[in-house]
Amino acid sequence: MRTEVITPEEHERAFAPTKKPEVTERQKLSVRYHVEDYDIADRPRRFLEAFAAILKHSNYRFALEHFIRMTTRCSKCAVECPIYQATDDPHDIPCHRSELLLNVYRRHFTLAGSLKGRLFGTGHLTNDKIEEMADSFWNCTACRRCTIECPAGIDHALITHLGRYILSEIGISPRALVVSVREQLEGTTGNTSAIPLPALIDTLEFLEEDMKEEKGIDIKFPLDVEGCDYMFIPAVSDFLIEAETLMGIAAVMKATGASWTIGTQYFDAINYGLFYNDRMLERIIRKLVAEAERLKAKNILIGECGHASRSAKYFVPTHCGGKNAIPALNIMEYTYEMLRKGKLKLNPNTITETVTYHDPCNIARQGWVVNQPRELIKAFCTNFVEMTPNREKGICCGGGGGTVSIDEIRTYRTTVGGKAKADQIRATGAKYVIAPCANCKKQIRELLEDQKIDCEMIGLHDLIYKAIIFDESNKSIDTENQKG
Amino acid sequence: MQGLLDFAEGPLFRLTFFIMVLGFARVFILAIWGAVDAYRKAGDKTIAWGTATRKTIGWLVPIRSVFTHKPFYSMFSILLHIGLILVPILLLAHVRLWETALGFGWLTLPKTWADLLTLATIVAGVAIIIGRIASSNLRFLSRKQDYLWPLLLIIPFVTGYICSNTAVTPATYQILMLMHVLSSELIFVLIPFTKIAHCVIMPLSQFIMLIAWRFPAHVDDDVCTTLNKKGMQI
Ligand code: SF4
Ligand code: SF4
Repeated sequence: MRTEVITPEEHERAFAPTKKPEVTERQKLSVRYHVEDYDIADRPRRFLEAFAAILKHSNYRFALEHFIRMTTRCSKCAVECPIYQATDDPHDIPCHRSELLLNVYRRHFTLAGSLKGRLFGTGHLTNDKIEEMADSFWNCTACRRCTIECPAGIDHALITHLGRYILSEIGISPRALVVSVREQLEGTTGNTSAIPLPALIDTLEFLEEDMKEEKGIDIKFPLDVEGCDYMFIPAVSDFLIEAETLMGIAAVMKATGASWTIGTQYFDAINYGLFYNDRMLERIIRKLVAEAERLKAKNILIGECGHASRSAKYFVPTHCGGKNAIPALNIMEYTYEMLRKGKLKLNPNTITETVTYHDPCNIARQGWVVNQPRELIKAFCTNFVEMTPNREKGICCGGGGGTVSIDEIRTYRTTVGGKAKADQIRATGAKYVIAPCANCKKQIRELLEDQKIDCEMIGLHDLIYKAIIFDESNKSIDTENQKG
Repeated sequence: MQGLLDFAEGPLFRLTFFIMVLGFARVFILAIWGAVDAYRKAGDKTIAWGTATRKTIGWLVPIRSVFTHKPFYSMFSILLHIGLILVPILLLAHVRLWETALGFGWLTLPKTWADLLTLATIVAGVAIIIGRIASSNLRFLSRKQDYLWPLLLIIPFVTGYICSNTAVTPATYQILMLMHVLSSELIFVLIPFTKIAHCVIMPLSQFIMLIAWRFPAHVDDDVCTTLNKKGMQI
């Protein structure tokens, strides 16, 4: 499915400046997201220093070497990029975006490039180039769709990732993300939404009462139980705005007799490090694992959240123990497994309206969580329709790569980033669009609102909560931890 | 003239070919070395080898791409690649040369087939250049070399075709032959140092992409130390 190019008016709205002119002037940075004040002196030199330090201690160099040899400029990737499709601006062609950074690499970090550059006195990094990268790398949602069609095997999301990392080391990254990570790692609450522990406990008790009322049985959120099979940890914002998802998950755990717990020392699976800085990514992973170790949990169970699942699954082994690391899984893997084993009973006629499913890029692109949700949906819904393309080739909601947390670019996200998704949802005519990811949920909710689509966004476990059947066989299951 | 041609076909050919082989070995070894080194440093060593292999094979036989986007461009591109690989290796006249150089030969393409393939390669090359000029996207992305390469690549095909299929005077023949040989040799020398090096490292792409996402275990400490950010607030 191709999406249409946005109108000039939409373009103007989407790209309207979001900052006061004096801020732009002071920070010498014309980008649409807010940035905390930073040292503007000597930007190119500091960018190159950060780049060099990162290359020295990371695995990026060999990939960049490969990419600069491989890039053939065929423009096949353009067709896949939802951003380019919406703007029709060649600056948004993935290959061009990546070239911004590859160019710096070639000129300053390869022998041939620096010789040529010095000889002709050309091509060196300038403030303008830094500004263009700062803009471009945050237009991309790091959805990795472009890698599907690139014959050269260039991973633009990796380059976007690296570009943002280098920029963040000189102080250029969206304030929304930096502030959240600061609270998560150094703040008193230790989570990105700054929820104090007593408030969390209150919320959970409140939800337990709700569930008692609605389902007539005791469904608990067990806190700080040691030695469980699963330490459950959602994107912390779920505690504030996705109560239904959490109740659905608690109900599944109850019905399947799971041994599970939520840690009170750390209860936020969000990892914005994945979006802008590898050092933060590592620190957050270490914090996550420390909590799992404190609770002696056997597995880390991530809630409905794509990027949190991807960071846990792939980066817990990276930073904490390789093949001996605590395994991490996504809640949909667990719930599906229980359905398959017959431990979970769902009413097949719970939802009769049309339902469609959005594949969060971070769990679907590599084919990891694609079948499980579909099997679950078919178990309680009679009218499921697919969007096309889907699964590994699914289209990003438009809020990927952390952009959803940047509120000041909402118009950009819902007119450009999410344009293709909006068209896809509209084409299904569905009543519900299921989005099992905290980021996608926020983005799609805003997308439906701004694009005036008559459809409701909902989490997968929200619906499972409606469909779940408690009968004599599972009503009375009380696992050790639920007693505790 | 004959002396020059003899030199071009003899020592110069051997030298340039040798440079190409060495150059290929260099990029290939560097790529493998880089990948192995990154893999060694990676904190997580689980790689979906199977998936990467499947995707690599998919790109080595890229039929699918003709049916997805840019069907014409893809078709011509595939044709160009087939011609570029097969004609130099399987043409009768070339195999003779190989035989004298290496002491053994191999099967050859029948003359009509070889001629057709040569023509197809030329057409594809021209089509690719036109395609690049005609599409605004491609114009935007293209560097000088992206136009020059297909042009350079079809010179030996054009000259070779004329020499073997038309009656030209011996003098013209010699000039064309010289162009044929020299342009091929220029290509040999340039290939390993330019984007055409993709012909040897392309099969590594999918693996490199996967390994590149496997980071070393301790980036935070190391980068902090190098950038003097130890103990600094976020
Ligand atoms: S598909 Fe790959 S090689 Fe082609 S233009 Fe895009 S990034 Fe460059
Ligand atoms: S990662 Fe997604 S948004 Fe970014 S360039 Fe590729 S297709 Fe476009």
